[in-house]
Amino acid sequence: MTTDQILLLGSIAVPAFVSIILFSGLGRSESFVKNLALVGFGFPFIAGIVLFLNFDGSKGGYCFEIFHPRMGLQELKITFHLGLNGVSSPLFAMAGVVGLAAGLTAIHSGADRLRLFLALLLTMQAGLMGLFASVDLFFYYLFHEFALIPTFIMIGLWGGRDRRSIALEITIYLTLGALISLGGLVALNVMVDAEKFDFPSLSSALSQFALAESTQFKIFGLLLFGFGILVALFPFHTWAAKGYECAPTSVSMLHAGVLKKFGLYGLIQIAAPLLPEGALAWSPYLLWLALGNIIFVGAVAIAQKNLKSMVGYGSVMHMGYCFLGIAVCSSLGAGSGVMLMVAHGLSVSLMFLLSTYVYKRSGTFEMDEMGGLGTKTPILACFFVAASLATIGLPGFGNFWGEFGVFLSLGQNPDHHFFLYLAALGIIISAIFGLRAVARIFYGGSSDELLEHEKKNPITDLSFSEILPAGVILSALLFLGLWPRGISDRIDQEINSRYSQLSSEQSMSLPPCCLLDKGDLENNQSLSIPLEKIPSSKPSAEK
Amino acid sequence: METETVVFSLLLLPFLSALVTLLCFRKLGNIASLLSVATSGGILVFSLFLIFNGENEVFSWQTTWLRMSNWELGFGFLIDAPARLLLFVVSFVGFLIHIFSLGYMADDGAKARYFGGLSVFMFSMIGITIADNLIMIFVFWELVGFSSYLLIAHYFTTEEAAQASKKAFIVNRVGDFGFLIGIVLTYWTAGTVNLVELADLVDFDPTIVSTVLGLALACGFIGKSAQFPLHIWLPDAMAGPTPVSALIHAATMVAAGIYLLVRIDFMFTEQVLAFFGILGAGMGLYAGFCALVQRDIKKILAYSTLSQLGYMTAAFGLGMPGIALFHLMTHAFFKALMFLGSGSVIHACHHEQDIFKYGGLRKKMPVTALTFLVGVLAISGVNFLSGYFSKDAILLTAYNTNMPIFLILYVGAILTALYMFRLYFITFEGESRSESASSAHENGALMTGPLILLAILSIFGGYHSLFPLAIVEPLLPDIELVAAMPNHMWMIVLGTFAWVVGGITARNLYGRVGEADPLEQKTPVFFALCQSKLFFDQIYGFYVQRIQDPCARFFEVMELLFISGLMVRGSAGVAGLLALIGKAFYVGKIHSYSFWFVAGTIGFLAYAAGVFGN
Repeated sequence: MTTDQILLLGSIAVPAFVSIILFSGLGRSESFVKNLALVGFGFPFIAGIVLFLNFDGSKGGYCFEIFHPRMGLQELKITFHLGLNGVSSPLFAMAGVVGLAAGLTAIHSGADRLRLFLALLLTMQAGLMGLFASVDLFFYYLFHEFALIPTFIMIGLWGGRDRRSIALEITIYLTLGALISLGGLVALNVMVDAEKFDFPSLSSALSQFALAESTQFKIFGLLLFGFGILVALFPFHTWAAKGYECAPTSVSMLHAGVLKKFGLYGLIQIAAPLLPEGALAWSPYLLWLALGNIIFVGAVAIAQKNLKSMVGYGSVMHMGYCFLGIAVCSSLGAGSGVMLMVAHGLSVSLMFLLSTYVYKRSGTFEMDEMGGLGTKTPILACFFVAASLATIGLPGFGNFWGEFGVFLSLGQNPDHHFFLYLAALGIIISAIFGLRAVARIFYGGSSDELLEHEKKNPITDLSFSEILPAGVILSALLFLGLWPRGISDRIDQEINSRYSQLSSEQSMSLPPCCLLDKGDLENNQSLSIPLEKIPSSKPSAEK
Repeated sequence: METETVVFSLLLLPFLSALVTLLCFRKLGNIASLLSVATSGGILVFSLFLIFNGENEVFSWQTTWLRMSNWELGFGFLIDAPARLLLFVVSFVGFLIHIFSLGYMADDGAKARYFGGLSVFMFSMIGITIADNLIMIFVFWELVGFSSYLLIAHYFTTEEAAQASKKAFIVNRVGDFGFLIGIVLTYWTAGTVNLVELADLVDFDPTIVSTVLGLALACGFIGKSAQFPLHIWLPDAMAGPTPVSALIHAATMVAAGIYLLVRIDFMFTEQVLAFFGILGAGMGLYAGFCALVQRDIKKILAYSTLSQLGYMTAAFGLGMPGIALFHLMTHAFFKALMFLGSGSVIHACHHEQDIFKYGGLRKKMPVTALTFLVGVLAISGVNFLSGYFSKDAILLTAYNTNMPIFLILYVGAILTALYMFRLYFITFEGESRSESASSAHENGALMTGPLILLAILSIFGGYHSLFPLAIVEPLLPDIELVAAMPNHMWMIVLGTFAWVVGGITARNLYGRVGEADPLEQKTPVFFALCQSKLFFDQIYGFYVQRIQDPCARFFEVMELLFISGLMVRGSAGVAGLLALIGKAFYVGKIHSYSFWFVAGTIGFLAYAAGVFGN
């Protein structure tokens, strides 16, 4: 094994191992627990950065591959296969960065039963690293579950108001989403006669025996809605803001920042390139649903008075751009979607982190009860303004390139221009709620509630242990903004090779909804796709 | 030195200066301010080097910034004649304003933030000036918006600044929304966004250009240059420190809109140009009326800026981009001069901004008064000062090509003289009308020095032959065109008449005033109409409070009711209901279970016997 491969394996094994030690209760002292946890979060961070730098995209395909055919179930074509490609490499690094920041926050959070909290968070971290490092689709799904299940427990145990019911709702919702997507993956496994259950084998098998268009439509539908629920696709998004508002900060950071990218990653890396006709057929519906994310959820975000739920709705809103990138069915759209995923993961986790910093000082998340924090906490204000502007897509931060690329991809097909005009409204919507929050929290004079609170709890600016995680994330965002080629070249290469088929499909420019007939719809009901949730109006591809 | 090294230094210098200030000198305001001034000095040196070393050639340089699918975005520079002119204006005026700021902000508590913000601004403004493609322009376009936001919010503890900064950014985003769509559409129609390639393509195939495309691109200009209907942010932006108003909201950033138009002038059809003509002339007149009734010295100057930007827009619409740039340059001189002059007055009068609380300042602040008077004379178009040449060139063009626009602009010119002399008489003549005005003193050399230099430029800035050819090169073709036009003598008479009438009326009306506006006493209806500014602020407020926010709340309720309530809770409810029904069978009594067992058996047998059909 080369060093790189050891790093790749270690990024999963180290946090998992540390978490086992913590679970087992070895070592009594608190500093031991904290230092050990720091190792658990630090290793994936270093591995992420090193592998990001060492990645050699010139050949295309996977780097640092680890392959163990004995591990897994060969009868079901499942094998243990790790590796990073152009799309997963930046996401893997992002997971390391956000994981370290979330870990540092958790270590300094002073939560009760800290050992258990850190152990669960490390399990989550191991799952997240494994998710992006998996080549085999079964392990990809398995690692996702590893990361997902601690979320429920942590919300239920350490959550805020109404944590029990919210934990239950989130569990039901996300388990349902995971189940539907599992259905899609199983269908892929069964229907496609491939040697192994990973993308390259599936792809080469499909190039010989393509699936019928109606089958593609069904499987893609399962994956779309399964993954869609996990990514909070409109109208399945209501769990998200509520859950993030309730969850402990480090869980919100890891879930909203990294875990939620699982679904998009599956759609961009696997579903759309393997099932191009299915993707094209679903595209008109997806376009509308993504607009729902941007306009509807964006408007809801404007109405929020609670900082954390505003950040939650804002993060759901920006997922809409990623979905648009997928719905466009072009390599430009998908590649920009990936760029936005990376930047969004960073910016959203930063926003959650900073909201908690604000909470620590004001004692509330209600924005009307704050005000004037800017003079008291200038460093926090500086970070918050930067993070808000990154979120709303200011150039210089990574989010801009993703959003811009998605807009550009929408311009390619005249049928999509309508969506371009409406989606671009998002840049105004997010400016409204982002800057309002800044003004309400930091500008103007302090509210009476804050002055009252300040009497008992003197307000201090950020400490070094608070600056560190925020600074790490912000630097990563700036790097992406100033030098987008740092990630775009490898993404582009991988996406281009995966989407070559899809692009040629599109050049035929067949209005995709003509391919739909009634029989397909009826068949789908038997597959229990919630069709009633799809807008009944004819999609605009015929506009 | 290699030219690209210089260009990179020019761009990186202010960026690094801002970064170092942020990281190291946050609490050391004095060092931060000196660093920023030194940076702007360095920018001036590099700019002058670029201007004079280029030998009037076009310099372009490019590298790939981002490649995705077929889309390749370049990071490149294009330094041609218009870019040189703007570089000169930005770096020179910027340098003077930096120096002025040293004096003006001497007692400010957050100097580091202020000077850091100025460096961010210089970075992004230079970026706009030398960018070689539309997407790169858009990037820096947003960044100047950001620095403007940052600097308007300098006194963020006041509610006024908090609201104004937000408004400025959001209204600009509305403009950028159209600009963004315009860029995307341009890319897919022409296949490139590089300015040089676009110009060649349009030259080769004029059908690329369409009115819709031109209007979409013009949205960016309308937002940044605060033209109708997005003009509402500029007067509010006066909540920022006065040197910022001078630099960003008068001399350079708002003028960047005009510069954008000049950069992409080949993208506009006849219809779009006609639209610009009407838009600009209308703005010139409208803002003039608004300026006439303001009491706040900075608001008067802000509306005057709107009005002058209208003149530049009109000049561009009349097909004279060179003249628009000419007016941009002279305007930068005299408007920066007057804004800094007002800053000098405000600083001396302990941040009093109501002109009716001033009076008699000429004796107390002679240098400020004299230089301000030069600015007033220049903007009014007094013969042989800088404004006279640029404005009369616009008026003459309009006179010879488009009579209605000329009439509007001409009334606007009379108004300009009227409200400017009004400002001068009320502020500097008569008796002091407040404690703060009577105790005012002239400011130090850091503040008067830039005033004197700008006053000299405001006097001589119109003589383009006094400038090096490398700077004024883009103006010459259009100036020659105007020089060849008929009716020159007639125009001189009309132009002189305009400022004389405006000046004398102002002298009669405002020569001796009390604390009340004489115009309000004489014509209350007209005054109230002007003061309403045609209700645009109210419309904006109405939109936010009665449309946008209720809409957002409506969506929130919809989500709560239908998605969260009906769909999610509803489906959970169905499951719960089934559970309840199921639970009803488990009553815990043996005869009940045996009853259901028998019923089930009978049902099964009946099914097996085919009672329910096959």
